[in-house]
Amino acid sequence: MSEEAKIDRQSDVDRELVAMFLRMSPEERVQANDDAFRTIQELRDAYRRQKANERKPR
Amino acid sequence: MPTGGRKPTSASLGEILEGLLEAGVDFILVGGLAAVIQGAPVTTMDVDIVHSQSPENISRLLAFLKSVEAVYRRLDDKLIEPNERDLLGKGHLLLTTRIGPLDILGAIEGGRSYEELLEHAIEIDFRGRRLRVLDLKTLIELKKTSTDPRDKQRLPVLKETLRQLEDK
Repeated sequence: MSEEAKIDRQSDVDRELVAMFLRMSPEERVQANDDAFRTIQELRDAYRRQKANERKPR
Repeated sequence: MPTGGRKPTSASLGEILEGLLEAGVDFILVGGLAAVIQGAPVTTMDVDIVHSQSPENISRLLAFLKSVEAVYRRLDDKLIEPNERDLLGKGHLLLTTRIGPLDILGAIEGGRSYEELLEHAIEIDFRGRRLRVLDLKTLIELKKTSTDPRDKQRLPVLKETLRQLEDK
């Protein structure tokens, strides 16, 4: 096995997660990414709102 | 992520792809979403495409960009729309649209253009249309030479995805 392949084998890749995604159709994969995208945006917005509230004088 | 003075009213990378296909734009999907579509469990926040620079295609792409109110992503509030000349160059146009971020690349690593990448593109059915996607093997080759730390971080996941795909 090449040095590069050894490093890849030792990396922390979640192989089951890869297998799970490979069972999905391309459209389902884009949908999953879009859902993740929206959730990340929502969490970032909530974080920004929280920070803005903290800065408001009481 | 800089968004210029305009924030997307919704965020749907699928909708951006669908819009480009509906508008008849010739492009190859590259970057993170190309990896997602081929099964890599990664999350990406934008659509990256390499487009054909034929005059007809530039017109179709410009019309699409207008329809989704595309402007450059900037740290200040200036709203600067991309123009025909920008789309004819080899540079990267980092845009925000009302349906999400879109990066339009005249060429990618090694200066490779749409025509040069065509032989490495696969076609998949996406919402009833044919979508050209840069194949995972080429994506991995490109990421190997990338200086972006995020690319290096993703590389093992992409390689594992390719390994499982080839084992099938």
